[in-house]
Amino acid sequence: MKFKDYYEILGVARTASSDEIKKAYRKLAHQYHPDVSKDPAGEAKFKEVGEAYTTLKDKEKRAAYDALGRHSAGEEFRPPPNWAGSQAGYDGQAFSFDDIDLADLFASFSKGRRRPQQPGQQPPMPGQDYEMATQISLEDAYHGTTVELSFKVPEYDAQGQLKHVPHAFKARIPKGMTNGQKMLLRGKGGKGFHGGKDGNLYLKISFIPHRLFRAQGHDLYLDLPLAASEAALGATVKVPTIDGAVNLKVPAGAKTGQKLRLANRGLPKHNQEHGDLFAVIQIVVPTSLSDRERELFKALADASTFNPRANFE
Amino acid sequence: MNVEYPESILPDSILLDEQHEISLNELAELSGLSLEELYTLVDSGVLLPNNPEDAIWHFNSHYVISVRTLFRLKQDFELESSSLALMLTFLERIRILEHQLNRH
Repeated sequence: MKFKDYYEILGVARTASSDEIKKAYRKLAHQYHPDVSKDPAGEAKFKEVGEAYTTLKDKEKRAAYDALGRHSAGEEFRPPPNWAGSQAGYDGQAFSFDDIDLADLFASFSKGRRRPQQPGQQPPMPGQDYEMATQISLEDAYHGTTVELSFKVPEYDAQGQLKHVPHAFKARIPKGMTNGQKMLLRGKGGKGFHGGKDGNLYLKISFIPHRLFRAQGHDLYLDLPLAASEAALGATVKVPTIDGAVNLKVPAGAKTGQKLRLANRGLPKHNQEHGDLFAVIQIVVPTSLSDRERELFKALADASTFNPRANFE
Repeated sequence: MNVEYPESILPDSILLDEQHEISLNELAELSGLSLEELYTLVDSGVLLPNNPEDAIWHFNSHYVISVRTLFRLKQDFELESSSLALMLTFLERIRILEHQLNRH
């Protein structure tokens, strides 16, 4: 087991009073709490800070922590024989400390103190909730899909030892998801102990950026490039949708930025309806012209009375 | 139209949004806040049941996220119960603004 210097994590002296510990914790919590901080490393940092505070704010745990002696942070160590935490089932000799960390040791320490003598009568401990994010394609959001999720959760083995074991399963994502949608998977978090309920998994679903479509809620947006002649004269063009290509009639005089709506061609909703697909017109011109094209554009420019910048005048 | 899950026969997965509902007991179980704390939030007008006149209240399931965050903040910052309503007001405001940002 690797040693963590809880005093160093909180930035306080080993002789700090409980008020000083609380003050240091509050300051760091404001800095790193994942619900408050925008620091991407905040969550991991806050976990350490929280772990240090949970141990040091409790007089008995702090005494037991101090009894572990002083080690360098990250140094491999094991609790001395007859350490206070041995009441929790860790006797320093027979127990393997390889798969647990200091936080597990102290969590079990407090549970151990309350543990009655008869087995089977331990108080129920609900499993931990987990949060995960997963990405799915727009096509999978449209049709529904199954994702494989895997993470490690602490569990007791048959010998009553705490280990981190891989937890892998498939989760069904129904159709009708929007980008950033959250869902709750009941009982898919950490295992509950002594009859406690299993924890839940909170899953945030986001979309892998699509080559053609952008999603906004259940509506989809597609850039629709049109040649200047198609925009001026009107045209029927083939446009892709998630469910296959369709023909779209573009009215004569179409403008850049104009949105053409294809009703019910967006993402499905939970009530059987669909969002819409909006084709956003972009007028484009060729980057290189053939001699004939140049000639015709020139003839058009000479003949046309169209002033595209009439609003400047 | 809200899709309602029957009391205590919740499916294995629940979508957390403004189209699905959960009961008061479920909200307490999932968030960690006590029923008493949830009643206070409803009384403060911050947590809005969809059916305030009925005996068993139901809420849009999106509240699970903000009420869970509220519980975490309460624990981690050792907040007083009296500050929970104010905190939820801000959490909901942030949720709505982030939702609007995602749409543009």
